[in-house]
Amino acid sequence: MIELRHLTKTYGTKVAVDGITATIRPGVVTGFLGPNGAGKSTTMRMIVGLDRPTSGTALVNGHPYATSRAPLAEVGALLDAKAVDSGRSARNHLLALGATVGIGRRRVDEVLAQVGLSEVAHKAAGSFSLGMGQRLGIAAALLADPAVLLLDEPVNGLDLDGIQWIRDLLTELAGEGRTVLLSSHLMSEMQLVADHLLVIGQGRILADSSIADFIEESPGGNAVVVVSPDAGRLAALLAGDGISLTTREPGRFEVRGTTSAAIGDLAAEHGLRVHELTPVTASLESAYLELTRDSVEYTATVPTHELAA
Amino acid sequence: MTTTLPAPATRVRPQTLTRAVHSEWIKTRSLRSTWVGMAAVAVVMIGFGAIASAVSTGSVQPPGPGGSDGGGPFGGGGPLSTVLTGSTFAVLLIGVLGSLAGAREYGSRMITASVVSVPRRWQVVVAKAVALSAAVIPTALIAVLGSYAAGTAILSANDAPTASLTDDDVLTTLFGMVGYITAIALIGLGLGILLRSVAGSIGAVVGGILILPNIAGALLPDSWDTILRFLPSSAASAFTAVAAAGDSKLGAAAGVAVLAIWVAAAVVAAVVSLSRRDV
Ligand SMILES: Nc1ncnc2c1ncn2[C@@H]1O[C@H](COP(=O)(O)OP(=O)(O)O)[C@@H](O)[C@H]1O
Ligand SMILES: [Mg+2]
Repeated sequence: MIELRHLTKTYGTKVAVDGITATIRPGVVTGFLGPNGAGKSTTMRMIVGLDRPTSGTALVNGHPYATSRAPLAEVGALLDAKAVDSGRSARNHLLALGATVGIGRRRVDEVLAQVGLSEVAHKAAGSFSLGMGQRLGIAAALLADPAVLLLDEPVNGLDLDGIQWIRDLLTELAGEGRTVLLSSHLMSEMQLVADHLLVIGQGRILADSSIADFIEESPGGNAVVVVSPDAGRLAALLAGDGISLTTREPGRFEVRGTTSAAIGDLAAEHGLRVHELTPVTASLESAYLELTRDSVEYTATVPTHELAA
Repeated sequence: MTTTLPAPATRVRPQTLTRAVHSEWIKTRSLRSTWVGMAAVAVVMIGFGAIASAVSTGSVQPPGPGGSDGGGPFGGGGPLSTVLTGSTFAVLLIGVLGSLAGAREYGSRMITASVVSVPRRWQVVVAKAVALSAAVIPTALIAVLGSYAAGTAILSANDAPTASLTDDDVLTTLFGMVGYITAIALIGLGLGILLRSVAGSIGAVVGGILILPNIAGALLPDSWDTILRFLPSSAASAFTAVAAAGDSKLGAAAGVAVLAIWVAAAVVAAVVSLSRRDV
């Protein structure tokens, strides 16, 4: 479990993380989603104490990471796969890390096999491709069998096979009751693996919900397309609190904030004809784009006449 | 590629300073550059000592009554300074290697993995210092004793005067030189961690050991001598007789103390910097 409380980090005048409060629970894969520069990496770096928060706290299993008795067994982190000494072999890299918590050769060889690097275990890490480097980073994260896993854009540089492999692995790790926090700037990478989403934009939490709720709660959420010769009267009946209507062509409009069943019943009650009544589920991708676009518009200093245009 | 999870839970132990040292030692020994660098120190030291002994057999003076055998590189001095001629170069080289040991993880960003695995960051610095010493001390012993043995053999084969291990100050000088080489490695390590730059820390070490004492000695008025003799190289000359770039007026014990303070200052500065700054 990871608890972030009013976590804030500023670099000079730049606010990278702006008062984040969230709890990342065990047993599910939490997707940490946000555009580049949103503050994902900075947040993860603060969780393991690489960056000191300007204010607020990050707790891992109830205490600051730096006070862990066996740090690598508490959190396995893949923050930057290229952060290895290029002259050292993959195996020696893992042996050195493992030695800090008394882990030896057997376990190192085990994780090397698990990530598929046994054959290149004695090669210098500097000769690794980006994908092999990511695998080595994942091996390092898994080394001490940690209860919490932090992976910052782990999919970068992996081929399709590798991406599928990571997805299966993360699902399995979460299924074992571990806390898994996985960052990405792409919703497409998240929707197949994450159970829960933590969306961040400009250092602030924009959404903290399950994948299913995320669509419902997003402003671009579910809509119902209505085609009716009595469109005008039906629209007038529907209009009300929490319901929005948009019309693109005569006799056809989109309703948000209610269900197709409710619209159908209302039409029947008033004897109005309905030719088409279609629920449209927004894709996660468009919901995400809309959410983060809003956050950009909200904070950007765009003249109002341009927003209106 | 396999996705089988290991069945047995991994047995994990608390992270301690000893385990941090073990980790740093694995890092140190698993880099080819460590062994190339250490071999280079020994070769340079013994090689220059042997050459100096061979070319200066005619001009070597017997050690004076006080045990001081002065002189400069390549002759004019006593047998001990002649066989240890390589120390100037060995010290510079070890300063460079120490700086590299401190700064290289900033270049590769490996430092992030180091402080995540050992979040009590002072332990990272201390562990690196211990691991570096474990490589440098044996190297310095081989280099210094090798220089002495090879140089003395060459001198004696040419019927030139030699320094005996039982002569005054000879053992002090030899082991003092081992200590000096180790100290400069640790100062380089501290500066490397403090400055986070290979080039910067090498510049600081080389400048501080070789260039500063000579330039300052030449440019500054004599009244500054009191201060200059507290520079690492000058302090070391108090117990290594031949290490100085300039004369020292410190006693041997004071010289050891001053050099130890330099080492402590570099290590403490590295600890403070690593602990306070974001990585
Ligand atoms: N060390 C740093 N110094 C100055 N600004 C930084 C530093 N690290 C990150 N930032 C800035 O903080 C913001 C958040 O960065 P980051 O956490 O890397 O975002 P993300 O990982 O979501 O792409 C960005 O605007 C970035 O430029
Ligand atoms: Mg990032």
